[in-house]
Amino acid sequence: MTPSLRAVARSYRAERGLTGVVGLLALLAGALALVVAAGWLGRFRAARPVLDPVALDTIAAWPLMARIAAIVAGVLLLVLGLWLAARALRPEAHPDLRLDDALTVTSGALSSAIAADAERVRGVDRAKAAVVGERDAPALRLSLWLAEGADVKAVWQELDGSVLRRARESLGVDALPTAVRVELGAARRTRVR
Amino acid sequence: MRVVVRIVAVLLALAIATAGALLAVEVGWRWLRPDAGPLVVPWPRWRAELSTLTWESTPVRVTALITAVAGLLLLVAALATGRRDVALLDPAPGVTVRTSPRSLARIVGTRVRAQDDVSGATVSASRRKVRVRASSAIEPEARLRPRLTGVVGAVLADLPLARTPRVSVVVDSPRDRP
Repeated sequence: MTPSLRAVARSYRAERGLTGVVGLLALLAGALALVVAAGWLGRFRAARPVLDPVALDTIAAWPLMARIAAIVAGVLLLVLGLWLAARALRPEAHPDLRLDDALTVTSGALSSAIAADAERVRGVDRAKAAVVGERDAPALRLSLWLAEGADVKAVWQELDGSVLRRARESLGVDALPTAVRVELGAARRTRVR
Repeated sequence: MRVVVRIVAVLLALAIATAGALLAVEVGWRWLRPDAGPLVVPWPRWRAELSTLTWESTPVRVTALITAVAGLLLLVAALATGRRDVALLDPAPGVTVRTSPRSLARIVGTRVRAQDDVSGATVSASRRKVRVRASSAIEPEARLRPRLTGVVGAVLADLPLARTPRVSVVVDSPRDRP
């Protein structure tokens, strides 16, 4: 995944992965329990208690092992759960650009400058910019609302030739990975008075 | 849907953390004080109940069914949250451009509705396909459809799309009714 592709939108991979894995496990566990209850794994198994004495005896035979395993598993689940919750709740990072030791451009300043510049391109009705990504690998996310009938190819050319080039030059970087999200024909409606 | 998945993910993560903490605490407490009762979770009572319930008993079946259905819903929610953005050609190296299916449908719809003899149109678009359903009071489908297909094709050709979607046009006209 290239840096510009990653900047298109906030990543949902951890949230989707967690929800999907928990859902899959619950589905499999529920289905397996239903299969056992239906007697497809033998009538004898279906008539056994859920908390099987054989399993309890096995655990009782290894008390130290079982206790250590349970505590380790509990601590791991605690850490995993807290990490995932913190990750899902954390707002998206908008790192400042550090050009050298003395000079830092805040993400807000950079965003509003680039957005104002992009709004001057013919055909662009509204623009919004944000710096996203990691602190040492920042990328730009530019959202453009194009007016109806705007020539998309001309907008592209001007965007790359002037707005992004100026941004790169003023920051003194060779490459600024950029994701552009366009909304076509989405100009604000003018209210009739 | 993405907000739902995010909220669900937070709740699941907190549930996992709580369960892990309770497991570690209860096992540790039992290890330190074998004679004292449970700390938070009344697990001896649960153990007694679970050792009397058989797999084929109704409560177990109902719980299993609810678990399976809830799991299926979570799985569907997780799968439905994927991005449906439409890719446009990269104008320069290091620049990625995406647009929403909705905005694609919007410009196609605007152009189709502006055609003569079209009284209304609904458009749905995805990365693979653009579906247009137009209605016309005057022209029959056989005449209007090729024209609208051409118009939609021209709109799409004007956009630097990474992959041109297939176009399907259906015209709903009273002239076609016997």
